[in-house]
Amino acid sequence: MSSLQGYVDRRVLLVLQDGRAIVGVLAGFDQKSNIVLADSKERVYSIDEGVEEIPLGLYLVKGEMICLVGEIDEEIDKSADLATIRAEPIPPIRYG
Amino acid sequence: MDSSVTGIQEPFDLIRLSLSERVFVKLRGDRELTGILHAYDGHMNLIMSDVEETIMIVDPDGATNGQGVVNVAKRKMEMLFVRGDSVILVSPPART
Amino acid sequence: MLIFSVFKTLTDQQVTVELKNDLSITGVLKSVDQFLNIRLDNIKVADETRHPHMMAVKNCFIRGSVVRYVQLPAEHVDTQLLEDATRREAMNQNKRQ
Repeated sequence: MSSLQGYVDRRVLLVLQDGRAIVGVLAGFDQKSNIVLADSKERVYSIDEGVEEIPLGLYLVKGEMICLVGEIDEEIDKSADLATIRAEPIPPIRYG
Repeated sequence: MDSSVTGIQEPFDLIRLSLSERVFVKLRGDRELTGILHAYDGHMNLIMSDVEETIMIVDPDGATNGQGVVNVAKRKMEMLFVRGDSVILVSPPART
Repeated sequence: MLIFSVFKTLTDQQVTVELKNDLSITGVLKSVDQFLNIRLDNIKVADETRHPHMMAVKNCFIRGSVVRYVQLPAEHVDTQLLEDATRREAMNQNKRQ
């Protein structure tokens, strides 16, 4: 069973179907991969400016909106200066 | 031809008789594949080998008559799983 | 069921998962489930300079529904076995109808 079990209480990056990137602590999940994220922040990427972090708080994300969940390596994440990163947002899922 | 001769009674029989043959697959997102079919299931998930993918990319600014220019990108993959929800059609090899 | 079994035999092999948002992620297949959700370890995103979003991510869970392709290691796929298993499953399906 491929599950999200190993990600509970870890800081994760959630990529949504519409391309949004949200980081937070995975507080819980269920069979449909509905996910509860604590202390979550959206990371808004753009070509012209550095990454902007918008605090969202406690979020419940519906399973069908989820594209990917990745475990964040705190060391690497801390060493990256978000203000200097320029990138296009992640493209939305097409024909999902 | 009579269905008792061809062994084809339902649509999936056509795919079953194409196993180990080169097939043409049309996908959502202006993609096409040719490759040798090794497995499929009821969702039309496919496993193919010796695959060539063709992607049609329409460049709306490329033409002067407002028609747009279609650029074609090709690539090869040795062994590929294709998720069924992207599949539009599967066509068996031309019989001689 | 058949495809799920195939993926299970490929556990611990390196695969490349291409998503419907054109992201391409290579990694070691750690597990799959019946929805074909995929767990990848030691991941690398293709064209990392254009996709720095996952720089700090070393392993991930990919929802099956967003997968377009998975590139498999051909040397670990027995095509004859696959074709036989597919014919068998197709026969069972017909019998059940």
